[in-house]
Amino acid sequence: MISGISAGLLKGHRFVKRDEGKTCALCHGGRVYPEYTGEYGGTPDVHYQKGMQCMDCHKKAEFHGDGKAYASRQERKDRPVCTNCHPAGQEKTEKAKSAHTTHAGKLSCAGCHASGQYRNCYDCHAGKGATSKPAFILGRNPRDKNMITTLRVIPTVRDTFKAAGIKMEHFDLLPNYWDTVPHNIKKRTERTRSCDVCHVDKEVFLTKEKLIPGGSKANEGLIYTPKSIKQ
Amino acid sequence: MKGKKLSVFCLVLAFVFALPLFALARDIAPVVSRDWLEKNLNDSKLVIVDIRKVEEYKEGNIPNSINVFYGTWAVKKKGLDNELPEDDDLFDVIGSAGIKAGSHVVVVGKIDTVADQVNLTRVAWTLIYGGIENVAILDGGFNKWKEAKKPISTATVKSKAGTYQGKTNKSLFATKDYVISKIGKANIIDTRMPDFFFGVSKLDFVERAGHVKGAVALPSPWIFAKDGTFKSKEDLEAMAAGVIGKDMSKESITYCDTGRLCSGWWFVLREMLGYIDVKSYDGSSQEYAKDPNAPMVKYTWQ
Repeated sequence: MISGISAGLLKGHRFVKRDEGKTCALCHGGRVYPEYTGEYGGTPDVHYQKGMQCMDCHKKAEFHGDGKAYASRQERKDRPVCTNCHPAGQEKTEKAKSAHTTHAGKLSCAGCHASGQYRNCYDCHAGKGATSKPAFILGRNPRDKNMITTLRVIPTVRDTFKAAGIKMEHFDLLPNYWDTVPHNIKKRTERTRSCDVCHVDKEVFLTKEKLIPGGSKANEGLIYTPKSIKQ
Repeated sequence: MKGKKLSVFCLVLAFVFALPLFALARDIAPVVSRDWLEKNLNDSKLVIVDIRKVEEYKEGNIPNSINVFYGTWAVKKKGLDNELPEDDDLFDVIGSAGIKAGSHVVVVGKIDTVADQVNLTRVAWTLIYGGIENVAILDGGFNKWKEAKKPISTATVKSKAGTYQGKTNKSLFATKDYVISKIGKANIIDTRMPDFFFGVSKLDFVERAGHVKGAVALPSPWIFAKDGTFKSKEDLEAMAAGVIGKDMSKESITYCDTGRLCSGWWFVLREMLGYIDVKSYDGSSQEYAKDPNAPMVKYTWQ
């Protein structure tokens, strides 16, 4: 049983009128879609509030491909990017302009604009079933350690494949937290409203104490403690 | 001198009697019928706000209606569900929906469940809190509109977005401390079903069973008839009078578990029946019961 996927699968190769709430959400209904509509205990993404659905951002080239076999979706350069529609320099307030300039290249858009908690999976494959719970985690992007971003727990632990006799000898090379873009974006969040949330309170950041028990040693490399703001 | 005193007395008396009229200074009825809405579809002052999911709206909607999903109007804040958005966020939503201070707004949604029904009153409360006084609910929602074979469109209407700089009406809103300060003074109305009021049932996220000390029970699900439409004004009037009396100027505060259900009686009391001072406590039991010092009682109807 995969948590959240409960709507069944498309029947054979039957094409239906485009309806992202049925088609896309069949597979992405465990995590992304309910985050987007706000039904996963939060609030709707601002784009959903404006009536936008999956294919308003994810264009058909993403689905049909370009004939080339990519090893990972990360290799694709035509994925949706916030600044395609919201380029820097179009901010309406000085505060927004200054915040964007200060954090450019250091912090992902979602780092500030993800509106709140998103689904994270804990204890999956750890011999005691899967549990998911909401959390909000900021830390270093494992793909680019100079960038701070929203991280999501990937539910693989040291003994995931123990029952199958696989030791996972290189388990510590990769972290258990990976960069994610929660689909619960808002214009204003507690982090856009107050610098203190990150630079004084710091509660949203990954710390040694918060790391999942028995996780990869590589997790520690994602810990980041923001500096205080110089006056 | 005696005549002057009498005139002042008469003026004061006239003002007191006129108060309910000020409170009900509406240009449109609080609950509108399908026929009324059909006749007014092209009224330039009218903004029809469909609060169903985007997918449902796109499948079929009332012509000229715009879609602003329920979750936009009632957000999660600091661990509490169904909270008011921050003022600037609320004004952004109102402005981008093309609603102006003088607009006539009709809220449309589903009526499949009690939660759907009170979503309508919750959005109405939020809009009125945001400074829009002429807010109505389509009786029977989209369900009855469709059943009555009224015109349906599949077009997505783009709102005439503008900037809205209103003034929030704080007198419609109660905080936990305010509720505690009004125990024994105001009508505190528990709008959940009686088993929750009595304390034999409780939702998991509510820390203590029972009700606010001194509260009375007036469940919001009882506002609606079996077909999801509003009960008659006479019935609602009698239900309210039987529980909180007929003193229209006495302060009332409605609450529930998360601040959604309580909007039902808030809407009926203030908008339909003319009770003047009605507040809604959107923190409700989810917040209240967390505070061990907040007075609660259970296993009593008192």
